[in-house]
Amino acid sequence: MATAVERGSTAGTEQRAPARKENRFTFAGRMMAPALIVLALLSIFPFIYIVLMSLSRVGLIGGIDLHWAGLDNWSRLFSDESVGAAWVRSIVYFVLTVGLEMVLGIGIALLVHSLVWGKNLVLSLVLMPMFMAPAIVGLLGRFLTDSTYGLYAWVLRETGLYTGDILGSTTSAFIAVTLMDVWEWTPLIALIVLAGLSSLPKPVIEASRVDGATYWQRLRHIVLPMIAGVVIVALLVRSMDAIRYFDIIYNTTNGGPADATKIVPIRLYETAFRFFDLGYAAAIGLSMLAVSILLANLFMRTLRKRGLAK
Amino acid sequence: MAGAGGAALWLGGCGSSNSAKPVAGDEWKQFGGTTLNFISENTAPTSAIAANLKPFTELTGIEIKIVQLELAALVQKVALDFASGVGSYQIVYADPYQVLAPYHEALVDLNEMMQDPELPKLDDVGDFIPTQLDAAGRFVDKDKLYALPYDAPTMIWQYRKDLFEKHGDRIKQDLGFDPTPSDSSTWEQFYKTSKWFKDNAKDDVSYGHGHQAKQHDSLMNDFSNVLWAYGGDYFEDGDTVGRLGSSDPGEPILDSDEAIEAADFYRRLVSIAHPGSLGWDWDGLGAAFSAGQMAMAVNWHEFAAGNEESKVKGKVGYARLPRGPKRSANMYGGTGLGINATASERDQKAAYLFLNWATSKKTQLANLESDVGGGTPTRDSVYKLPEVEKAKEPPSKMPNILTADAVFEAWKPENIGLRPKIAAWNECDTAIFTQLSKMLAGQQGAEQCMSNTKDGFMQAIDNAAALRSA
Repeated sequence: MATAVERGSTAGTEQRAPARKENRFTFAGRMMAPALIVLALLSIFPFIYIVLMSLSRVGLIGGIDLHWAGLDNWSRLFSDESVGAAWVRSIVYFVLTVGLEMVLGIGIALLVHSLVWGKNLVLSLVLMPMFMAPAIVGLLGRFLTDSTYGLYAWVLRETGLYTGDILGSTTSAFIAVTLMDVWEWTPLIALIVLAGLSSLPKPVIEASRVDGATYWQRLRHIVLPMIAGVVIVALLVRSMDAIRYFDIIYNTTNGGPADATKIVPIRLYETAFRFFDLGYAAAIGLSMLAVSILLANLFMRTLRKRGLAK
Repeated sequence: MAGAGGAALWLGGCGSSNSAKPVAGDEWKQFGGTTLNFISENTAPTSAIAANLKPFTELTGIEIKIVQLELAALVQKVALDFASGVGSYQIVYADPYQVLAPYHEALVDLNEMMQDPELPKLDDVGDFIPTQLDAAGRFVDKDKLYALPYDAPTMIWQYRKDLFEKHGDRIKQDLGFDPTPSDSSTWEQFYKTSKWFKDNAKDDVSYGHGHQAKQHDSLMNDFSNVLWAYGGDYFEDGDTVGRLGSSDPGEPILDSDEAIEAADFYRRLVSIAHPGSLGWDWDGLGAAFSAGQMAMAVNWHEFAAGNEESKVKGKVGYARLPRGPKRSANMYGGTGLGINATASERDQKAAYLFLNWATSKKTQLANLESDVGGGTPTRDSVYKLPEVEKAKEPPSKMPNILTADAVFEAWKPENIGLRPKIAAWNECDTAIFTQLSKMLAGQQGAEQCMSNTKDGFMQAIDNAAALRSA
């Protein structure tokens, strides 16, 4: 209805008053203006401000004060070894968490989908972790792995599998925070993939059964290709989230031990809110934004190639 | 009138020479109806005050809203509040290193308030323990006072008296010295005693000692005790940079032979400690010690309150830290209360009433007696009160006072450990605890660790200077 009114209005204006053709603030523009203003306030203005901050030294006392610093923060960013190391850890962390979540999520979705009864109950239980705030998952993880009273620490110690402090050594701490993230977000992948599985055309599956295809053949040649689009969407959603992973590490290791879990968001937080070097933090934040955009474009291109996005 | 009477009664109880006179008029009531926000770390005295604000509200008519946070979150909120210029938190828990040093310009010089005839007189300022008044209240300029000492956590030696009594003779026989903490105890003896417990007393305790060696502020605190004991320091003029602070501390001396020796000894010490040490900050260490997992720990003295509510109740002894080749050094972690200079003048004056009250002798005594607090008084006279003297022996209603003899030893100028009070401290702190964590993880040796730490300090000081010039 709104579209009809809009079209009619525009057409009428063109016919009656060609001289006013250049007025672009049309009815549609007026309707969109509030949303555009809100968008500008929430996204565009802060973005421009952060770009300006990244080109400045930011004074704090008595009000934020920007002093032009040119490309100082950016040149520091590209020569800062600790930020470079944080990026390497972020990439390893990203590949591990998202990879494990995709494999486990698809596996769990296939299992739940194959259930004949109790599907809703199992699904509810499977989804529970993702309803917890990441900060709570971090605190819970810290509690469970604490060497004094943590259940997991006790089980590992009593079984002789691991006697050290889980969050106290570099490898085990990295594995622990990775697994905490996998525990929380695998259900999201399972949920999205399950939605894809539910929409598969039953006749195609039945026909493959009649033709004698085994379960693995059906999975490999029919199910996975048909849900590939959904899987890529799940991958996109998780990737965008994983790249700014913060809460769990902040609440467990805070980047330690020996910087083993200091990924870029932790380094960014430290620069902004511990050192209050907001100009440099802005440069780090913008580099994270650039990587996020690159990743999103990569996934979108894949979706377009498959004809799943316009 | 009732209010004035109440005020007179309250201050009369404080008993210092400056406040012996009854307060005239209603100077305590002049800001009645004001609401102030007090932002504090979640420490014992603030918990005690939060649980019993009624006396202050009755005295002044001022409402206090308290926000208690972890220190890192507090620093963040305070810095952003200073930046906003709004002064949302009028009363600030001004950590000397993370708030006072970088943001002293945003705090009120309390001398102006103390000289204001319209404001009630402060209890005797000379009653504050002198090193604490400088360390927690001043920055560079001795004529300015930005905060009043509010709490005084200090790192001391906490040990299981029962285990030392049980095994003391055998340890003496095996190791050739009396392990009981004394003035002559050394860090080397601490190491040997810890190893002895680990190897020979498994039935009583799993480990000899533990550390707060997480990659965190706690690791810097823990290591600094050893650094100073071995004759190392952060800067050439370490005493002044620690006590009064400096805006130009000079070149760090963390790559000195003494500092490297200290780092190497610390690495050895952690290697025989409870394996949980690498993941603990002070809370984790305190929980493990009070759970009976080790015979000794070096921790903040306010953890005595937790010890006396745990399975080690009545079994813990407290002493000044061991000596190194140079001295005994005990990290001081006290903080003062300051007033936000970006708040309105009326709020600043109302906040001063709260500072006056919260740091008074009577309030510090009430905090000590509080069920939810514990308190770590900063006034000398509080420790001399008969009821406080009596509480030095267990069972005590004031568990933190069980540590009084140890902390008074620790606070002597020759024993106190004061980290650098410089604007770049947050970044320097991160540099040292990160490098130490790498050393403890076996990624680098002591020499490399201290050399990298020095580089990190220099970079941090340069960064802070650039920011301050902005």
